[in-house]
Formats: sequence, C-alpha cells, structure tokens
Amino acid sequence: MALLLLVISFALFYFYMVRAKKGAEISARTFPAVAAIPEAVGRAAEMGKPVYYTTGLGMGTLNNPLNGPQTLAGISILGHVTRLCSRNGVRIDYFTPIVDSLPLVEETMRTAYLMEGNPEGFDTNHIHFQQDQSPYLTASLGYMQRERPASNIMLGGFYYESVVLGEAGNTIGAMQIGGSANTHQLPFLVATCDYTLIMEELYAASAEIAGDPDVLGSLKGEDILKFVVLALLGVGFLLGLANNATLINILRM
Amino acid sequence: MSEVYKRELVFLVAGLVAAVMIVTYFLDIPVLNGLAQQLQVWALIIQLMAIGLGAINLVRVNYRHMQQKTEGLWIFSAWFMVLFAIMLLLGLVGLSTGSENAIYSWVFANVYTSLSSTLYAITGFYIFSAAYRAFRARNIDAAILLIGGVFVILANAPVGAVIWKGFPIIGGWFNISGQVPAMRTFTITGALGLLAYGFRTLLGKESGFYGEAGQ
Amino acid sequence: MSSGNIWDKLQAIDRRVFYWILFIALMIPYLRPIGFPIEINAPAKGIYDELSTVQPGEVCVLSINSGVSAWGDCLPAMVACIRMLAQQDARILVWGMGHTDIDITWQEIMDRSPELKDKVYGEDYAFFGYLPTQETTIALLAEDIRAVFSLDRYSTPIDDLPIMEDVNGADDVRLLLSSDTGDVQGYYIRQWHTKHGTPIGSIGIAMNASGDLPFFLSGDLFGLSGGSRGGAELEQLAGVPGEAITTMDAISVSHLLVVFAIILANVGYFATRGKR
Repeated sequence: MALLLLVISFALFYFYMVRAKKGAEISARTFPAVAAIPEAVGRAAEMGKPVYYTTGLGMGTLNNPLNGPQTLAGISILGHVTRLCSRNGVRIDYFTPIVDSLPLVEETMRTAYLMEGNPEGFDTNHIHFQQDQSPYLTASLGYMQRERPASNIMLGGFYYESVVLGEAGNTIGAMQIGGSANTHQLPFLVATCDYTLIMEELYAASAEIAGDPDVLGSLKGEDILKFVVLALLGVGFLLGLANNATLINILRM
Repeated sequence: MSEVYKRELVFLVAGLVAAVMIVTYFLDIPVLNGLAQQLQVWALIIQLMAIGLGAINLVRVNYRHMQQKTEGLWIFSAWFMVLFAIMLLLGLVGLSTGSENAIYSWVFANVYTSLSSTLYAITGFYIFSAAYRAFRARNIDAAILLIGGVFVILANAPVGAVIWKGFPIIGGWFNISGQVPAMRTFTITGALGLLAYGFRTLLGKESGFYGEAGQ
Repeated sequence: MSSGNIWDKLQAIDRRVFYWILFIALMIPYLRPIGFPIEINAPAKGIYDELSTVQPGEVCVLSINSGVSAWGDCLPAMVACIRMLAQQDARILVWGMGHTDIDITWQEIMDRSPELKDKVYGEDYAFFGYLPTQETTIALLAEDIRAVFSLDRYSTPIDDLPIMEDVNGADDVRLLLSSDTGDVQGYYIRQWHTKHGTPIGSIGIAMNASGDLPFFLSGDLFGLSGGSRGGAELEQLAGVPGEAITTMDAISVSHLLVVFAIILANVGYFATRGKR
C-alpha cells in the first residue's frame, strides 16, 4: 500500500509538472522569508558587514533521511544568496559541521560567483567547517561576536543550535531569516528570527527561487495530496466513530 | 569531462541508487537486497572519507589566520593547530598499537565532553533571554500562544501543581488537544514536502543537489 | 536623551542580568532541596508498565543515541530503565549511534546501576559500541544483527557471547528503548516496530517530547520519557531515586522564572505601548 501511495504521489507531481510546463498557470504564494533575502543582503551591503549563512547540524551528515534533504534545500538557497552577495559586493561566510556537504557547498558557491561574472570573488576560506555540533556552535558564536554580520540566514536541519544562534544574532542586532523542517526547533526559530520558513516551506522555497513553472507544478501536486490526506482523515474519523477499522487495515497493508 | 556530462552523470547515478533503495525498501528481491547493502556501505565509506576533506579545510583556514596574524584570531588558530596535532598523533599512536590511547581517551572524556555539556547548558540561558525578549502579546494570536505556553510550562514543572491543581490539567489539555494535532499536521505536511523535494531532486530540478547556483 | 521610566529600562535590560539571575536562582534548589511532589504522567507510566511485564531471560535493547551533553535529560531515565530490567533478570543488549561518546555514557550507566554488578558480561548484558547513524543500518540490524556487528565493543566475536545464542534480529527482541536527541526513534519505529512489531520506547530530551507525543498516543511508542521530568517520574515509579528527582526542583525554579520573565515583559510592553 505504501509503495502504491508513493507511485500515486510521484504520478501526481509529474502530471502537474508537465501541465505547468505546457503553460498551465500555477501561482504560489510568496514566502515572506524568501522575499526578505534580498533585503538581508542589501542590509549587509549598506552596513559593510558580511552575511552569516548556515544549514545547521543536520545530524552531521547528508546521508540522513530527514535532515539530509533539509541541508540540500539550504544549499540550494545558498546558491541564490551567494549570487546576491556577489552582485552586491557582500562577503558571505558559510558555517557547517556537515563534512560530506563541503564539496557540494564549494561547487555551489564557486558556480554562483562564476554566474555573476566574479569568479575571483570566491574564496574557500569563507567556508568554515567544524566537526560536530559544539565546535560548530562555538565557532559561529565567536564569528558573530567578532565580525558582527548584518544578516543571519539559517536554513536547514537544526537542533539546539537554532536557539543559541538565533539569540546570538539578536544580541548583535542582525536581521535573521530561519527555516527548518525539524518540528522541535520551530518554536525557537519563530521566536528568534524575523522571518521563518516552516516545515515544507523550506523545500518549496528553493522551488520558488528557481521560478521554473514545472517546479511550481510539483507544489500544486503536493497541495492536491494534502487534500487527499484531509479526505482520508475525514473518512477515517467517521469510520472511527463507527468503530470500523477498514481504512486503517487498508493503509497498513 | 565536460560540464554537460558532469551534471548528467550525477543525475544518472542518483536516479539509479534511488531506484534500488526505493524498490528494496518495499519489495524483497534478494539480488537487489545485496546491492542495496553494498550501496549503504559505500555511502558510509564516502561519508567517512569526507572527514579528511574537513580536516584539510580546518587546517587551511586556521593556517591562513596564523600566517596573516589576523587580529584577535591568530592566537586561537595557533592553539587549534597545536591541539589538532596532539590529538592526531595520539589517535595515530592508538591506531598503530591496536588499542585506545589512554591520554586520547582522557582528553576526549574529560575535556571535549565537558565542554560539549557546557555548550548544551547555554541553551537554557538563551531560552530564558529569548522568552523575555520575544514572548510579547502583540496581537490576539500571540496572546493565546502565550497563555497556552504559560500553562504548558507550569504543567511540566512540579511547582505548577503545587501553585494550583488546574495547571497540570489545563496544560495537559493544551498539550494533547492543541500541540499534538499541530505536530501531526507538521509531520504530515513536512513529509509531503519532503516527497515532492525528493521527486524534484531525482528529476534534476533541484540545484542544491547538483552544486549549481540556481537562478 | 530621555532616561525613560522603569518600564523603558526593563525593556532594554542587558540580557547578562537575566543570565546571572537564572544562574543564582538555579543554585538555590541544589544547595537546599525543596522536594516538590512529582505527578506521574501517562507517557512515563507507559515505559514503566511495559518494562514491568518483561520476563526473566527476555532480550531488551538499549540504543544510546544521545551524547554526554544530553545526560541531564536522558541519563536518569536510562539508568532507571536499566536498573529495572536488571532487577527483572532481563538480558540487555546495548549499542548506540549518532554520538561517538556512548562508551562514556554506558560506563556511567553501569556505575550508577548496582544491579549490574551482580550480572555477568556476555551472559546477562553485552555492549556493542558505536555505529554510524543511518536508517539503513537500523533496518539491517532488524533483519540480522550479525550483518552489522560481528564483534562486540571489546572485540569478542558475537557468536562467542552466550547472550546472543538465540538472538538474530528484531523478532527475537522483547522491546527496544531508544535514547534520543534527534530522530533515531523514528528510524526504529519504521524499521523495527512497523515491520517486526517490536515495542519501542523513547527516552528523549525535552525538546523531542512534543514531537514524540503523537507516536505515543497512536501506539507506535509504548512509552515516552521527555527530559528530566520523564527521568524523575521513572525514578519514582521504579523506586530508584536519583539525579532527576533532585533536578526537578531546579526545573521548577527555572520554569517559574521563565513565566515571571514573560509576565514582566508583557506588563512592560503594555505599559510602554501607549507611548509608541
């Protein structure tokens, strides 16, 4: 049953992606956090300060089913932010404890500078790696105190570092944009950041930034699936009231 | 290798691996099970090899700070290099003798883990200052959130029940009837978003996976 | 420049003042314990009830997926559970992932569990050490433990351990406790519980408790210990008072301070709002 649902989901995404590519109009609401990214970079340019960017602990590896995609989504958006920084002459410092993301990040940032016609602007010394959560946190806190970045962008799989980095950013008066799909960190990100991407908004943000119509089509497919889930919940609720476990048994097959 | 093939090759490898892993998760095909196991081992090896990359990055960045005598930073970079060399040597000695080096274990257990715990403890202080700074009833929604939060906080602390028996009851209600449905919603929608993201990645629509910089 | 009234000053207070207030306030219950009564909640009771039904000789697994930094939240509950299982003569397997310091954690658990001193390593309990955090590893463990571990932590071949005589995978395990600071309990729910029906209990940090509660309410977890509170409840239920019960006084003080800070901040906010 799970495989069938997976196939149906993929088919739905593909259907709407093809429709969108053929010209069907699909509109997605603008995420305030995404719209605020140029503002954050602009603020850094005005103040002559760098931008701090991190994708969080992410359980220390890309090879993690829940956090790996969050890190990758954060890296997708990193490309966009790096391009904006290059365009505005702003330094961007990327901090990570995820060792297997380093080649990917390097390539993303290098390509971003290249696409802006500024290949010499890329410096690998702006990619800061510290193995494990505590050294990464200490390094980030020290960086914030020394460099006092104008903007903090924290998008990825976060753990307790979200509240520490968020508060440290508030201490130095940085503009903060955060986002994670880890439910346990959402309250801290919402409390400490000026703009937040919540749960699937983190994944959808990279789609919005890409602006490809077929990518937006997948968001439509996602929304249709949500209606399907709602319908299942409704039917399940009514069956549950009648003490009928048919739907549960079907879903457990 | 041309840029075209670099992207297509990544796409091909990712697609094949994903297909094998998805099929073996749902279906029991002995040949593919063995392949899936091997792929997992390879992923682990690649992940561990990347630690070497991380070490190189660390040494490079800190050496540069030392060389340029970056103000306020170079002394820490120098100290890092000393500690890095010590731990590396101790670890290599342990590796060569086949047993854990006692000094290495002592440093890890008594220095690193203690510092780690200290960092984690900082969270409490930051939450406290965040609570004072951010939890303002700016509108009705924030006010409801605050009131619910206060009840949940006092339900979790034993003193809440001492102050008033209603705190655990009402806090528990907020937890079960308010927080749990919201968490379920987040989990379901997060999973759907993850599914769509994974699908876009497999189709090569997500730039992050391929090291591109998007639009 | 106007000096402002007391509310303006409170709004702009240096956060280091808060840190000192919290630090000093937390000292008090440690120096002079207060002893607030601890009510038992259903999630922690679930762990106790399930552990109480373990029969002598049944194999239980403790997966230590939390590091030393999470000892305050997770260690008391782990100790209480291990002591209960040891008292009931269960066979205990221990392994861990996600944090490289699980050796230290397991040593600490053993030091705090006098019941283990009468037990024989290799027959009553065994420690397998650290393995990298991957859901695929956990899936492999469920099918065949020997596919992941050929040796225990002390380089003894797994087949030389009497405890592993009739244990091959998840089907031979009575229950599994996952001590977590992340998402590993989700891996066990998917790979062990959903596929093999193995009961899973979660011992997590307080941040995880809210996310794990839906799984407890749906029956995917038989019990849930969230933070120090869960540890204190388990210590009380199991009759093995320890660190968590004494920590609860500090928890009470800190929570009261947070509530006080919120109230003060909002009073100041409304007092100064009219001026803006």
